[in-house]
Order: sequence, then structure tokens, then C-alpha cells
Amino acid sequence: MTDVHVVGVGMTRFGKHPDADSTDLGAQALLEAVADAGIDPRLIEAAYCGHVFQGMVTGQRVLAQVGLAGLPLTNVENACSSGATAIREASFAVRAGEYDVVVAVGTEHLTSQFRGALTPDPSDPEAAVGATMPSVYAMRARRYMHEFGMTREQLALIPVKNKNNAALNPLAHFRTRITVEDVLESRPVADPLRLHDCSPVTDGAAAVILMSDKAKKRFCDTRAVRLAASTLRSGSVDVEPTSMTFEPLTRLTAQDAYERAGIGPEDVDFCEVHDCFSIAEVLRVEGLGLFGQGEYPAAVQRGEADLGGRLPVNPSGGLLGKGHPLGGTGVAQVVELVRQLRGEAGNRQIEGAKVGLAHCRGGKAVGIEGAACTVQVLTR
Amino acid sequence: MPRIDAPSFRPGELEVHEDGSGNLVGSRCSSCGAHFFPVRDACSGCLSTDLETIGFSTTGILYTYSVVRQSTPEFEVPYILGYVDFPEKVRIMGQIRADLDYLSIGMPMVLELEPFGEDDDGNPLTGYRFVPQESTDD
Ligand SMILES: [Zn+2]
Repeated sequence: MTDVHVVGVGMTRFGKHPDADSTDLGAQALLEAVADAGIDPRLIEAAYCGHVFQGMVTGQRVLAQVGLAGLPLTNVENACSSGATAIREASFAVRAGEYDVVVAVGTEHLTSQFRGALTPDPSDPEAAVGATMPSVYAMRARRYMHEFGMTREQLALIPVKNKNNAALNPLAHFRTRITVEDVLESRPVADPLRLHDCSPVTDGAAAVILMSDKAKKRFCDTRAVRLAASTLRSGSVDVEPTSMTFEPLTRLTAQDAYERAGIGPEDVDFCEVHDCFSIAEVLRVEGLGLFGQGEYPAAVQRGEADLGGRLPVNPSGGLLGKGHPLGGTGVAQVVELVRQLRGEAGNRQIEGAKVGLAHCRGGKAVGIEGAACTVQVLTR
Repeated sequence: MPRIDAPSFRPGELEVHEDGSGNLVGSRCSSCGAHFFPVRDACSGCLSTDLETIGFSTTGILYTYSVVRQSTPEFEVPYILGYVDFPEKVRIMGQIRADLDYLSIGMPMVLELEPFGEDDDGNPLTGYRFVPQESTDD
């Protein structure tokens, strides 16, 4: 069976795009990925498009915009993991030998669809009593503080780290460095979380071009990065209440990925994780086995997750700093991994990085730990 | 507690009794005894489809909570939201009516029926809130 390689990446600026829609953004990212790969776009044989609130046939609209209408196109919705799931489906098509060159796009024009707090689907019993995504993470944060003694100041170091990384990323939603005081003085959203603890409402798109071994050798050998694993799980229904400070879903999805890639968490040089809220980054990296349970806040305080630290977390700025256009998020994480592994990440470059991991997780339904979770491992 | 005659805000999830009391409704697996909220068609523990619909206890332990200060237009902020663990081993989310200063993780909570929103025609509905147990002892 062939390996799968990422040979081209593209990404729009993340932020507010009042003069564009999800089609424009997706098209821009796709064209940039083609240019980055340096290939004739006619080589692309199939396309996968992740999005959440963009309506029917968004992917087909993107293809029509760039002259590629007619290709087999699959639209993918999997909450915040939509883009990552599109990459996974694209990689399967290559691995199965069906196609040699495919593109995966993630796009979202969220500012035109959404204001304020994201909520579960209105049919959900938790939505009926007033659940919002910030409030669910706020409750997890309070429980984590109760169990592990994390302080509010320690939690604030995560948005500070990620927004300071974003200040180095020309495509990030936020480009301004912040301090712990800025976090603690920002508007309360759901106690103990404040505005700087929450990812913003962002427009943006990203695209990656995947190739088989054969196509890579022929067209794009030098800057290719191997997609060593792309795994997906959905959350199970708890038979009895489990800890909300640990994520079995993240752990299981990561174990699948480590096994598939033939590595362990100790081999990961840096990661992009789904920091939709400050506390989420804590729960993710501990669930991934990259830090021990209850240990991440102190590790952040020691600088271990900084750009120059032992294991940089969210060098791109993460969802908190780079922004969170739902369908675009998972693809943009892989864009960052590729740029870091190629040594093309500019002044946020992590020296000598060989193994990068991306983690997405999204959606909420009553009684289920988390809806959709993906882990991708890229190696150089 | 005042008698509440209005229909339940989520039919099938909340049982309202003639004496004004009420409880949440879920499933109990007849094979392995696991409980689920809301009602399920099959047991996630043993996959049996032999599930009975039962009413849950009305007292539980506060697992965690938050004060929600930004929400959708249907909900007036701020309000307290929490998860309560019930003896049937189910964790259920609900709004909390309490003095924030006295609220703490691990405290016993009681489910009480209260007016909760309106239907599409503006008629009042009955819902539930969790209240600290001590404040209900009189
Ligand atoms: Zn069972």
C-alpha cells in the first residue's frame, strides 16, 4: 500500500472577511496549494471539502470557482473536525490506490453565520437548559482547578502563549501580544472563562494536496511531508459518569495514530491541538499523553510549551490566536505542520522538527464525551 | 412548592406529578442495570435493546458549575449552569437556583420544578432547576 504525502499547502488569512464568502476563501486556499505544489491542477483527480455552516454543495462551488468542476467531490461535516475528516477521507482514497493526486479543502465564513457563543444543536436536551460551548468548557475548567489546584493565572498563560505565537504568524486572526492581566481583565463569558480564554469567530480556509508515492516521486519529491497517520473516533455514551478533566476520546484517537505512525508520544516534536478554549489545550495535551495528567499548567509556566520549549504547543497561535473557522481549522493545522517540517515557518520556526501532531475535536451531544476527534501525524 | 400545571418544556424528559413534584426520565438496561439520560434505544454497555423507561432520583451531588454571562437570545443572562451526579450513575446538566457564595462542588442538590420558558404561542412551560438541598429543608 502506498504512503500518503502532503505536497502542497495553502491558507487564507484568518480573520474577518466581510467582502468574501466561503467559496471565495476555499478557492483562494486551493489555488495557493496548487501553486505551492507547483503542479498542473489538471493532475487533481478528486476533492474533499470540510465545512459546518456553509450549506449544501459548498465544495462544488469552490471547484467551480477554480475551473475544477466535474471532479468527484465529497462534502464533509464533522463539527470542528470537519476539515481534518476531509483530509482523512482524501488520504484513504490515495491509500486505497483509487487516486494518485487529491485535494482536501476546509472553509468557513463564520462571521456571516454566527455571533456570540456556539451552542449544541437546538434538539439537544442540554441546549434546552441553556448549554453553550463556553459554559461546558468553563465547567471543565472549574472541575480541573478543583482537582489539580490550577490557578486562574496559570490558565491565563495559555492564551498569552498562543496569542504571542499568533503575533508571529502573518495569517493569524490576532496579531497583538497580550499579558496575563489582559486575560484576567477581559469580559467574563462563563465563569471562570473570560473573552481571551475563548477562540474567536473567524472566517478562513485552508487546503492541502495529497499524493501517492508514485505521484510524489514524479511531480513533487523535494518538499513533500509524509502523512504518517490520520485517525478518527467519535465519543462513546458513558455507562456511568466519568471525569470531565480527562479525555478518553482524545487518548483513544491518539493511540490509534501513534500505532499507525509507529511512534509514541515521546517522539512528537511539536503539536497543534484544538484549543477552542484555554482549558481545552490542557485537556488535549494531557489526553494525547504528551504531558502527565494535572501537570500541563505548571509545564506551561516553566515555558515547556513555548516556541523554544521542550514541546511547543500551537506554534501557529492555535485556535485562540490564529482563529477558528470551524471547517478550515483542521486543514490549517496540517498547513502549519507542513510549514514547520519543511523549515518554512519564518520567525516562529521550530528548529529541527521531524514529527508533528495535529489534534481536532468538536461537537457536543448529551451523554457523549465529545462528538468527533481526529489526530494526524506528519513526519519528515 | 406551588403546583405547576403548565406542560413540561421537554416532553418525555421530565415527569410532572399531580402533587407538583417531578423528576427526570431516562432508561434502565434490564440486562446490565446501566442508566442513561435521555431515553435510549439500546444500552451502550451491553448493547441490549431491553430497556425500561424510569424516573430518576431527585437528589444528587454537584459535580461542577459555571455562571453563564453570554448566551443565545432565548436565555436571559446571567444564569448558573451545573452538572449533578445522581445515584443512578447519570450526570445531568441543569440550571441552578442558588446564592453563588454558598455554591460548591460536592454539595447535595435537589431537583425542583419551576416555570421554564414559553412555547411558540407564549404559554408558560414547566422545567427544572437544581437547588442546594439545605435551602429546601424548612
Ligand atoms: Zn446493558
